[in-house]
Amino acid sequence: MAKPKHVPMGLLETPFFSRLNALSRVKSWTGWAGYISPLVLDTLEFEYFAIRNQATLFDISPMHKYRISGPDAPAVVNRLVTRDVSKIRDGRVGYVMWCDEEGMLIDDGTLFRFSTDDFRLCCQEPMLTWLLDSAWGFDVQIVDESDSIAALSLQGPTSWSLLNDAGLGGAAQLKPFDWREVEPDIWVSRTGFTGDLGYEIWVPKAKATALWDRLWAAGAHWGLRAIGYEALNLCRVEAGFIAAGVDFQPVHAAMRLHRGRTPIELGFDKMVHFDKGHFNGRRALLAQRKLGQRYALAKIDIAGFKPADGALLYHRKKKEVGFVTSGVWSPTTKRNIALAEFKTPYGLDIVDDLWAEIYVNQEGKWDKRLVPVTLQDKPFFINDRARVTPPRPF
Amino acid sequence: MSDNRYNAIVIGAGHNGLAAAATLAAKGKSVCVLERANQIGGMSKSASLGGATVPEIAHLLYNLSPTVAKELQLSLDTRALPTIALAADGNHVHIQGNKASYADKRAHPDAQAFADLQARLKKFAALLGKLADSPPPSLSGGLLAAGNLKEIGKLAKLGWGLKRLGKKDMREFLRIILSNAYDLILDEMADGPLAGAVAADAVRGAYAGPRSPGTVFSLMYRLGNGGDVRLPMGGMGAVIGAFETVARKRGVDIRTAVQIERLVVAADHVQGVLLTDGTTIHAETVLSSIGGMQTMRYAGVQHFDVEAARRMRNLRNKGTSAKVNLVLSGLPAFTGLTAEQMAGRLLIAPSALAVERAFNPAKYGEISPEPLIEAVIPSLTDKAAAPDGTHVLSAVVSYVPYALAGGWTDAARAKLQETVLETLERYAPGIRGLVSHAQVLSPADIEEMTGAPGGHWHHAEMGVDQILTVRPANLVSRYGFGLGGLYLCGASAHPGGDVMGAAGRNAALQVIADGIPG
Repeated sequence: MAKPKHVPMGLLETPFFSRLNALSRVKSWTGWAGYISPLVLDTLEFEYFAIRNQATLFDISPMHKYRISGPDAPAVVNRLVTRDVSKIRDGRVGYVMWCDEEGMLIDDGTLFRFSTDDFRLCCQEPMLTWLLDSAWGFDVQIVDESDSIAALSLQGPTSWSLLNDAGLGGAAQLKPFDWREVEPDIWVSRTGFTGDLGYEIWVPKAKATALWDRLWAAGAHWGLRAIGYEALNLCRVEAGFIAAGVDFQPVHAAMRLHRGRTPIELGFDKMVHFDKGHFNGRRALLAQRKLGQRYALAKIDIAGFKPADGALLYHRKKKEVGFVTSGVWSPTTKRNIALAEFKTPYGLDIVDDLWAEIYVNQEGKWDKRLVPVTLQDKPFFINDRARVTPPRPF
Repeated sequence: MSDNRYNAIVIGAGHNGLAAAATLAAKGKSVCVLERANQIGGMSKSASLGGATVPEIAHLLYNLSPTVAKELQLSLDTRALPTIALAADGNHVHIQGNKASYADKRAHPDAQAFADLQARLKKFAALLGKLADSPPPSLSGGLLAAGNLKEIGKLAKLGWGLKRLGKKDMREFLRIILSNAYDLILDEMADGPLAGAVAADAVRGAYAGPRSPGTVFSLMYRLGNGGDVRLPMGGMGAVIGAFETVARKRGVDIRTAVQIERLVVAADHVQGVLLTDGTTIHAETVLSSIGGMQTMRYAGVQHFDVEAARRMRNLRNKGTSAKVNLVLSGLPAFTGLTAEQMAGRLLIAPSALAVERAFNPAKYGEISPEPLIEAVIPSLTDKAAAPDGTHVLSAVVSYVPYALAGGWTDAARAKLQETVLETLERYAPGIRGLVSHAQVLSPADIEEMTGAPGGHWHHAEMGVDQILTVRPANLVSRYGFGLGGLYLCGASAHPGGDVMGAAGRNAALQVIADGIPG
């Protein structure tokens, strides 16, 4: 008798799990979109410094991936997201955000354009029903590729050299946010979540382990390490990137009222293209532009070295005006950095005399400190190797 | 206007479309009404059948808004009709206002209970009725937002009205408002034709049985303007004619037999309407009295938020009322009724339970074999309706599904006609032999003829999820519909359907309040 098919229970293994499991010294796993994903494989420090000094592999297969294709695909995508997608050319990738009718962010992600009428949307949150609803009335096909496409993020200053050694030198001319099929069934995009030189490599699930082994074989010379989410998280805060569920609450997943934030409130006014015609939430965002934003997400530098994740922020040490959404000690810049949400006008018009309240436990004794906060307008980590094309070998 | 430029365009020349147009015109706006059919009227029109004049779809006025009638100075001659609840055993019940007795004048054992229930419901209905003359209250933007003072006032008035009912009545109002008509009625009286008549009035046009929640609300809605049932002299054509006269007098252009290709949209605002013949009619305000979904399609779904499109797709609007019009070669004889009583509104709804049972087949795409019938013989009151000696019988038949299993074929229509005749024959033996002409309109036919989604009486079910502040759906209840300058003004908008005119009038006033360009 055939074994009955049933819905898989518990966390699923990604196509790379066998490789990751073999490398995992600490067995520190987390659940990511239903898949097993490493938090740390060896030690956080090794993994972090590998991202900034060598090359690293991170399994991004759990990302949700949707293929949007058909004659109306450009119209559907342009109605979905806030920026003008018609400006994204073939072979290009765009960072996109999409909102509900109230202008609240549903999720952000990357949009890969195969051709005029063929796109792939990658994001953190499950989005199939929303995409199907968005596609209603249009001649377009939506296919959930989340489980059929595997992907690896190869990041770090030696990542280009490693790719070249692995026989994927066809990626040499890729500028940031370019992507190309460098070999049949291997698409490489010059994208990532680290703010550093790096690539994301997309293959059908069946070719996943072969890809891993090929990169791994070329990696020893370039200091390749597999990493978990914790190291990546340090880098993404250094790069100033926001994370869903952390720096903003995807509005469809939020249970409580008023938890949504608009792209404007998250500091992405430039990603909202009011002149491109209607898109979801446009009218609400226009109204907000007129009435003013309620919140402002900002990059901040915090005095001292104690990571301030979750810390409350004050004006003149008295009035509570916000809190830290992501706070880390940045080993590369040697600064105590964070992303923080302010209630406007704080963080927008009022940027002086701001303080973070930090609790420290010194060997069993709790102490509270108020330390000064300075707003930053640029990412904390900036390095031109991330943008030079062709990339420099190391 | 010769250059095809107006302040506003109204889509659909039914009573709501014309009420909207006339209301706008009264404020000095130039208005053009576009009607797809060759004749105006929508659901309220007369048609000729075998030499007689029949009320094609709607046949009585239950709920014509007194505000609309007064504002438009509608010149209309109507007669209040008694209701006769027919009983298979001949013990028909005669209902006039709150008074019920047997047709042969004997006292009805539940007469007092009926009178009390009607009085109670009408008291509550009057409270709700006050909400019908303006857009439903909205507090979007919060209590302190500018411009919400008026809204708070509106709510306070409703609250004050509730308070003034007294503790006992207020409690009763809140107890029953969302409940079902079946329990409410049978708490007060024994099941039978009288209970059946009340139950049938609670669900007419609805995709709901008397046991469905929310049917007490729809019963109160029916009683919102006193609950009188009135026959218009000159037929439904005279009703729409009255609207038309006012509109034309105020300078409204009405164009029939024009098909809309699409709305013209630029800069997130409607700019006019493109007709299939290539003509563009310009106006920066468009009011649509057809359904939300068709309106959205005309404008293009790309101009709406995903949620708005989803709400329109999910609107509940399954029609359940068919129309059967018969021309009779002579006066039928309803057993046990005088000629005067035969001129009343004749209800075949033998009991509340029978009404509930009749709904069951419709859920599964079948015509009820024991349909509810509301019949009227207008030619008894209005001699002009049919040539000498002949008569017209107009019947609203429920529950007849919009999506009939197997589709609406001629055979299906013939079967429906047969079912109706069989049912009538039980109360008026020999009526079948008098039929010289018959017209059968399924809910699908009514949709086709009028554009009412699902052929639904109210364009959108009057359920708790689709009334007041969420009529026909969330964020559309103030008539404005997504695009700048686009409004809904038909029965799917607040307060709802019946030949009432309030939705059209309210929408027009909202347009004026929002400020109309040009």
